[in-house]
Amino acid sequence: MSILSYNGGAMVAMAGKDCVGIAADRRLGVQLTTLATDFQKVFQLNDKLFVGLAGLATDVQTLHQELQFRLGLYKLKEEREMTPQVFSHLLSQLLYEKRFGPYFIEPIVAGLDAKGKPFLSGMDLIGATMTAEDFVVSGTCTGNLHGMCESLYKPDMDPDTLFETLAQSLLSAVDRDAISGWGGVVHIITKDGVTTKELKGRQD
Amino acid sequence: MDFAFGPEPCMAIGHDILDIGSRKAQAKRQRGALGDAMSPAPLELGMPGQFDLPNVEDPARYCRTNFASVCGTGDEHQAVKFAKGTTTLAFKFNDGIIISVDSRSTMGNYISSGTVQKIIKINPFLLGTMAGGAADCSFWERNLGMECRLYELRNGRRITVAAASKLLANVMSSYRGYGLSMGTMVTGWDETGPQLYYVDDDGTRLKGRYFSVGSGSMYAYGVLDTGYKPDLTVDEAIELGTRAIYHATHRDAASGGINNLYHMTKDGWKFIHAVDVNDLHYKYAEEKKNAMAT
Amino acid sequence: MSEFTRPMEGATEIPPAGFNFENVSRNARLMEAWTNAKEQAEAMRKHHAQHGMDVAPMMAGGGYPNHMPLAKKTGTTIAGIVFKGGVVLGADTRATNGDEVAEKNCRKIHYVADNMYCCGAGTAADTDQTTALVASQLELLRMDLHLPHATSLRMKTAVTRISRLLFRYQGHVSAALILGGVDKAEGAQLYSIHPHGSSMRFAYTAMGSGSLAAISVLESAWEPDMEEADAVTLVQRAITAGIFNDLGSGSNCDICVIKNDGAVDYQRPSLTPNNTAPFRAAITRSSRMDMKPGTTPILDSKFVPHKGATLADVTVTEMEVS
Repeated sequence: MSILSYNGGAMVAMAGKDCVGIAADRRLGVQLTTLATDFQKVFQLNDKLFVGLAGLATDVQTLHQELQFRLGLYKLKEEREMTPQVFSHLLSQLLYEKRFGPYFIEPIVAGLDAKGKPFLSGMDLIGATMTAEDFVVSGTCTGNLHGMCESLYKPDMDPDTLFETLAQSLLSAVDRDAISGWGGVVHIITKDGVTTKELKGRQD
Repeated sequence: MDFAFGPEPCMAIGHDILDIGSRKAQAKRQRGALGDAMSPAPLELGMPGQFDLPNVEDPARYCRTNFASVCGTGDEHQAVKFAKGTTTLAFKFNDGIIISVDSRSTMGNYISSGTVQKIIKINPFLLGTMAGGAADCSFWERNLGMECRLYELRNGRRITVAAASKLLANVMSSYRGYGLSMGTMVTGWDETGPQLYYVDDDGTRLKGRYFSVGSGSMYAYGVLDTGYKPDLTVDEAIELGTRAIYHATHRDAASGGINNLYHMTKDGWKFIHAVDVNDLHYKYAEEKKNAMAT
Repeated sequence: MSEFTRPMEGATEIPPAGFNFENVSRNARLMEAWTNAKEQAEAMRKHHAQHGMDVAPMMAGGGYPNHMPLAKKTGTTIAGIVFKGGVVLGADTRATNGDEVAEKNCRKIHYVADNMYCCGAGTAADTDQTTALVASQLELLRMDLHLPHATSLRMKTAVTRISRLLFRYQGHVSAALILGGVDKAEGAQLYSIHPHGSSMRFAYTAMGSGSLAAISVLESAWEPDMEEADAVTLVQRAITAGIFNDLGSGSNCDICVIKNDGAVDYQRPSLTPNNTAPFRAAITRSSRMDMKPGTTPILDSKFVPHKGATLADVTVTEMEVS
């Protein structure tokens, strides 16, 4: 077992038509023991930018604080919001800087770019970035999530369909993973705002 | 068919009946101390009814390190991983025994099944529970069912729970150190009343009022210790057994799915319910909310 | 002066460039702590076993994190050849994470300079970052020297920079590279650079887990002074051999042709022998697969409109004090 699956957790982000969504489970555990069912692992960084941090919980919180700091600094210096592309690059550099002593985090990034088009990217723990047109997954049940997304994803979904697709992919995937689940949260980002829904997931 | 009042045994049964399946019996038999037909055949490679052992210097060690089906993630280094992960419990009370289990089977972090029957019906008056290696439990409890039936045919009366559990414990002793994984409760009703035994792969055999076995047992014990008393009504006892499993499935990642619950009475076991523990979660949450409101 | 009034020097500064090792000792301690816990549990088990009482395996509840997580690798087929009019580079597009295909269309032919490109195999992050770092160094060098033409930048400079970087890290930066390009000094050139920092010049070469399949194609069919079309076809064949015969390689074939005059023809994808789109289109989905709104039970829903540009006011996060 690797340290990446010490606390458990699963997350997925998916693109729709002029909208993008990101979903994650709510569990925090220590191996098989469930400690909390309201743990936050997806963070909103600005209007149209979300990051999901899957992996060791202590590093989830440390990295989130580091990212908030970097975004604040960027905003002060540049007087503009960071686009998902730039953010993805920043995160990648942040992770690669610690190539030989990494954070145990495999992040995913979801957002709308300057033109309002979906942007998705995923990274390994040392920042090897992969961008995707359709969906990216991370966490302790990527196999399950890949399977669900490959079969449920369709191009150009509207925000409501995107929500259902993300929610069903996540719930079905975590129901076959012992160390993630216990509810979930889905954020759908459109040009107007962010819809956040708490999922009623299985509690075992 | 009447198990309880069959003819008295006409054939003298030695203590060796309790050694069926164990190596002790076989060793004696080979020494000529016992020659009756009931002793198991000698252990030989390739013989039906026995396990072939790997042809290495220390077969026990080899099995233990390569084919152990330990609970949790202790078999991470092994190429062969087994289905396991469980919460099971059973307790005696004045109106019999409640046997309550979950239904999840995991292989590593993957949930390989959510609908496992972890209560094994050995016969109408005997139930066994399953924790640890699924294959080890179901194989040996099926084997136990066979031995119990043979006992009935030979002796014309039902085997006691004490004897049945001893049969299983002897098998476990004989394969001790070979990496078998089994934590079971053997429950039944015999002429001495309701009986509950815990038997595990070490050969441990304990008689007790209540037990819980498996990765989620600590959580179940918490609920049992709080709510248990001998003079529970049947409904209260069912509620206690259900609640203990629910709490275990909520906290323990390797337990979940469906709560199967049986009640052991003087007329044999009765199936009570099979409920989704997720429904239980929201039922209990609702009850808690209402209780807070009043 | 109290600690609290000391000016926050450097608090808003981004740390200097280069690797940061601050987590190394923490991670080593984590692994050590877990290893010790595991060994103690094992020792306890052995002790009990010797004294005739074995700790029940199900009580041990074992399972400590026992290895560092794997970084994403590009189990790869990359190849390059020199032909009459320049250099052809080729690569597959699969990235793997253990047994899992992490990405089906990743870019493995990296930009290094206008006149050189570099195929990467090994740990994905290392190949990406190494090539990007050298690309930025070369661009700065080009501007510094006021080089008149793209091909004035020498291949040897790039090879030296990369191999020194890799040598410095003694193979821990695991990038296996094929660098191809043209310059005014020596024309079309092809180099392979290994993770430990050694480099060699070739007329044709292949690297990565699929290199055996690829090199056998090149060995049998490469000849000096090939025409461009033949050269591209040969590299395509080599990469395709890797895609189909090596499990670590797959998906598409990317090609990059760098011609003697410095012109670049980057074909991505050049071949798509594993296009799944028609198969997917042929699947008749059950209507149950249509996600109708309201399918998923939810506990709570809220909509927050975008705040819009609030450039001047940075949200102040309260310090956590509890």
